[in-house]
Amino acid sequence: MRRAAWIACFVAVQAACIWVVQPDLARLWAGLPRLAGWIAGGFPLDFSGFGDIAQRAAETVALATLGTTVAAFLALPLALLAARPSCPWMPLYHPVRTLLDALRGVDGFVFALIFVAAVGLGPFAGMLGVALHSAGSLGKLWSEAWEAADPAPMEAARSAGAGRAQAASVVLLPETLPQTASATLYVWEFNIRASTVLGLVGAGGIGQELKNAVDLLDFNRVLAILAVIVALTLAADRISAALRRRLL
Amino acid sequence: MLQARPGLVVRGLDVTLGGRPVLRGVSLDVAPGEVVALAGLSGSGKTTLLRAIAGLLPAERGDVIATARPALVFQQHALASRLTARDNVLVGALGRIGFWRAALRLWPRAEVAAAEACLEQVGLVGLGGRRGDRLSGGQRQRVAIARALLQRSAVLLADEPVASLDPETAEGVLALLRDLARRERLVVLVSLHQPDLAARFADRLLRLEDGCLRTA
Repeated sequence: MRRAAWIACFVAVQAACIWVVQPDLARLWAGLPRLAGWIAGGFPLDFSGFGDIAQRAAETVALATLGTTVAAFLALPLALLAARPSCPWMPLYHPVRTLLDALRGVDGFVFALIFVAAVGLGPFAGMLGVALHSAGSLGKLWSEAWEAADPAPMEAARSAGAGRAQAASVVLLPETLPQTASATLYVWEFNIRASTVLGLVGAGGIGQELKNAVDLLDFNRVLAILAVIVALTLAADRISAALRRRLL
Repeated sequence: MLQARPGLVVRGLDVTLGGRPVLRGVSLDVAPGEVVALAGLSGSGKTTLLRAIAGLLPAERGDVIATARPALVFQQHALASRLTARDNVLVGALGRIGFWRAALRLWPRAEVAAAEACLEQVGLVGLGGRRGDRLSGGQRQRVAIARALLQRSAVLLADEPVASLDPETAEGVLALLRDLARRERLVVLVSLHQPDLAARFADRLLRLEDGCLRTA
């Protein structure tokens, strides 16, 4: 009975989603030849003016890296307030956790869109968008790592007369460094992937080059840029995984 | 915690945990230089009593009067595994060191020297730079004692300090606590499972049964 209720619930949710999205297989079928034509026409890949693509790719890496660094600085005080072992004043605990959820809930792309309007086009707006969203993610991941840590060393520090923040800085942060550093690398890797599309809203990076090529229906160029994006994300993935393995 | 006559005085201590009374009217006295062992079955309230005396648990009723804020040697060491033995000992001095100095590991030289002296006192010369997770069980226990010593409290509480140690190391740790009590005139209250060790190293043995204290 319970199982049947779960299945009925699942089917109802899927039916509601289908009603909203209105998937149309006939339209997909009609569009496939066009898609195939673009892919076939995209070869050979057009790497002419590779310097521009490389510069935009570097911009993507730079804004994702700087955005993650700024996010880490923003996240540190918030995460300390959002973790029970380190929060010096518990009335702040739930409001700060809600703030972190709100920052995480708004995508970096949306933040970038707002910052483009506020500070103008370019990677600076993208970096700010990445930083704000990632501050929420890092704050959440770090505070959870701190809440899951062995409380005994913290208690020993507290019993020796240390305040919560002091005990956290001396004991908790070094103890959980592998977990927090690993989470930071994961967010950095995610940001490199996510930053490849920020150019679509004028927030800098390789996405800007991609948008220009799509607008001109230059599919040789589009595929070349996609190849660079895949290489970039794979490299970030490998570097992050290797560093995480060393940390844990 | 009241500042009063030397030693440790506990009067009529009641502690309730999760709605269950764990300690009922516990009273005891320990004089400076004295080692008192606390025995009792698991769950009899030994850890609760030590934690209540250390101020880590609130008492419903009763008084704890000690010459100083007690230093507690925790069961299972409570060391930070990624910190060095020296930094773990320096945790005992955090009550005297400002936030930024501690957070940035700018330990005062005098405290570092004192930490090294405490490590030497517990027989760990030259191991200050070794990480907590690379020390043996006996060495960790000694670091935990050194951390409590650096608190410079006249009242030392130890919760099952030899529970996970081999007999030889256990005797070494208890002999050390007894020597410290004699030499530094410390109050030492230690919970022990082993009656033979308690008889050999303690001046008095107290037994906790169902939250009540009896003289053994």
